[in-house]
Amino acid sequence: MDKILRINMGAEGGPKVTVAPFGDYAGLGGRGLTSAVVSKEVPPDCHPLSDANKLVIAPGLLSGTAGSMTGRISMGCKSPLTGGIKESNAGGQPSQVLARLGYGAIMLEGKPEGDDLYKIFINKDGIRITTDNSLRMLGNYDTVEKMKKEFGDKIACISIGPAGEMKLNAASVACTDAELRPTRHAGRGGVGAVMGSKGVKVIVLDDTGVSMRQPKDPDKFREANKVFTEGLRKHGVTGEALPAYGTNVLTNILNEAGGYPTYNFKEGRFIGASKISGETEAALETERGGVPTHACHRGCVIRCSGIYNDKDGHYLTKQPEYETVWAHGGHCGIDDMDKIAMMDFLDDDIGLDTIEMGVAIGVAMEAGLLKFGDADGAINLIKEVGKGTPLGRIIGSGAAITGRVFGVERVPVVKGQAMPAYDPRAIQGIGVTYATTPMGADHTAGYAIATNILRVGGFVDPLKPEGQIDLSRNLQIATAAIDSTGMCLFIAFAIMDQPETFQAMLDLINTFYGLSFTGDDVVDLGKKVLKMERDFNMRAGFTKEQDRLPPFFKTQPVPPHNVTFQVKDEDLDKVFNW
Amino acid sequence: MQNKNTLDDNAKHLHITIDPTHFSNFYEILQSGFIVRCRVGVSIKALLCEQFGLTPEYVVERISTIFLDGKPVDDIESAIIKDGSRLALSAAMPGLVGATMRREGVYASLRSSITYEEKHSNYQSKEGTVTIKLFNLLMEELGPIFLKRGIFVTFPAMATFLTKQPDNFWKACKEILLDRKPVVYSILQKSNLPAQCDWVFLTVLILN
Repeated sequence: MDKILRINMGAEGGPKVTVAPFGDYAGLGGRGLTSAVVSKEVPPDCHPLSDANKLVIAPGLLSGTAGSMTGRISMGCKSPLTGGIKESNAGGQPSQVLARLGYGAIMLEGKPEGDDLYKIFINKDGIRITTDNSLRMLGNYDTVEKMKKEFGDKIACISIGPAGEMKLNAASVACTDAELRPTRHAGRGGVGAVMGSKGVKVIVLDDTGVSMRQPKDPDKFREANKVFTEGLRKHGVTGEALPAYGTNVLTNILNEAGGYPTYNFKEGRFIGASKISGETEAALETERGGVPTHACHRGCVIRCSGIYNDKDGHYLTKQPEYETVWAHGGHCGIDDMDKIAMMDFLDDDIGLDTIEMGVAIGVAMEAGLLKFGDADGAINLIKEVGKGTPLGRIIGSGAAITGRVFGVERVPVVKGQAMPAYDPRAIQGIGVTYATTPMGADHTAGYAIATNILRVGGFVDPLKPEGQIDLSRNLQIATAAIDSTGMCLFIAFAIMDQPETFQAMLDLINTFYGLSFTGDDVVDLGKKVLKMERDFNMRAGFTKEQDRLPPFFKTQPVPPHNVTFQVKDEDLDKVFNW
Repeated sequence: MQNKNTLDDNAKHLHITIDPTHFSNFYEILQSGFIVRCRVGVSIKALLCEQFGLTPEYVVERISTIFLDGKPVDDIESAIIKDGSRLALSAAMPGLVGATMRREGVYASLRSSITYEEKHSNYQSKEGTVTIKLFNLLMEELGPIFLKRGIFVTFPAMATFLTKQPDNFWKACKEILLDRKPVVYSILQKSNLPAQCDWVFLTVLILN
């Protein structure tokens, strides 16, 4: 993984390929690399769908190795949804395959004349780019089926659906899973629209004939991986809760805490929560012959995903995750798991961010376009997006646009991006991250990483409320670093609680590259990434006024606790003081 | 809150002995909440260990997330169970918010606005009722214990549960008793529980 592939889609005479060494970007991967490239090479004031923007697709530092949990792939660009820098990442197979083929990144640059659609095939022998207009407006599932017929089933695909082709703000980029289904998505920020603007429908990766990336010190790497894997397996969250129930295990917890946004953030508890909880979902999957424990890519030992079958026992979609079940469920007042699973399938096929879509539909419900709880109406709205009707294009442009078009006050977005499944009035600390992350409202921007082990910025007393600003800062720094390794964020729980597992993670990097990375280096990397991202946003015109939650969070108490967001603006402005 | 006599006077006793493969059918009851009789005016720790028979080690290591009346609890020795309280129990959960909800976790400050605080210290121990909710891994580990001990479920909730059970559930039932008398499942399947009862006292024996 020592080279970068640049494809200028707007070159004279057709797309032009350049393969070059890492150069200034040496030592970076994942989010660290995408944000470095976007920050340095993309004009901050450019239109996100113009030829000046770039889509950077980067595996992590350890992708393509035998290391556990190393299969995340980052997609970076200037976001058409937020207008700021964006990194959105996904699981699935492409990260491992791309890294084994030796590429540290694919950069889609320029913009083609005309409206031809392109497919890009990459294997050990090189890169082949061809026009293929037969793929126009195909869903991700049909697109992948066509690729299988053409290239066989030993491939991994990165593709967009009709939403990406229409360049909608909620468009995602799909990555195929271990079964070659387009179920893992870089969902946030409209990265699919940027891929669509480059005219690229699908990138097909084939690593036949190439071997796994080899570490500098194979014996120590193997030992570190063993300790790391054992740490994940013995921890209650990564070894038991996530494999058994998936991320949707959070529904009952958030609902009980009164922090489960319901009816477009009007209430904090949903009466139908137990019907759509992870426990119920897993039992249903088992009953129907699906699978409640399933890996999204090879090499994952947590296996938090699953297979969701319909009532007749046929595959419907992968196990819808917590955020998806919430966005299409409680947020919209819908408690029918089958209808929610159908929406998950449609989002994946059309190529849409499930959070952005669910929140936009909830905002449309608030406007009276359809009633809360109308599951069939919600499904039809997603189909409208797929067809590209005027109404569908509005919804597919995200929650902020939908709110403006329909005159809704309560629109839960930050920097134009829809808020995930935690009410910041009940869990105020997460509101600090929602408000201040360069990415727009994002629950993964400040994850439960081992800040306590890292002691990022000093010790914070967990039981004192004034620690929220410091904690958010520390979490954002640590998360930016982990996102750069290509490791799944779900390792967070084991490395947070078990120092030996955290050390094993560092040892994986060190023994692979022959480095002596320490906890301090992790902190420095995280700070460096955040600094680049904040700098890009400032040059794009962002000020501290964009680091705020919508005003209704300060004025409208959310039941059952009847609390408002209390963190002061001047405190939010201190998050990045380090 | 439910008066002890009111509960007993208006409850039918339904007992089911069932094959373990169908334990998950009871998930919805266990996670939605059920009522148990116990002594109230005691700490959460005392309730769990002294009345429900859980070991202190299990409580510390396994029940890492606790909500009392919808508020996350840090100190289980000072938080007091009152008559009519609602107690939700969970294992460690994923996500920042999962970690935030943990008892005395490193991220507890992130939810300080809703954290449970005990306002008084003088409570008298007395007979009462508590609504229990079991989530995730604890549903599987503690569910059989509570079902064997006996739980109170409202008649409408029980009727809904019974009518939605598929045939294979009933075929897995080795014994069904209504007020200690055998009953054919078709009566329950059609929700023909005596309409005059407000509550069902449910006991379930999960066969090994």
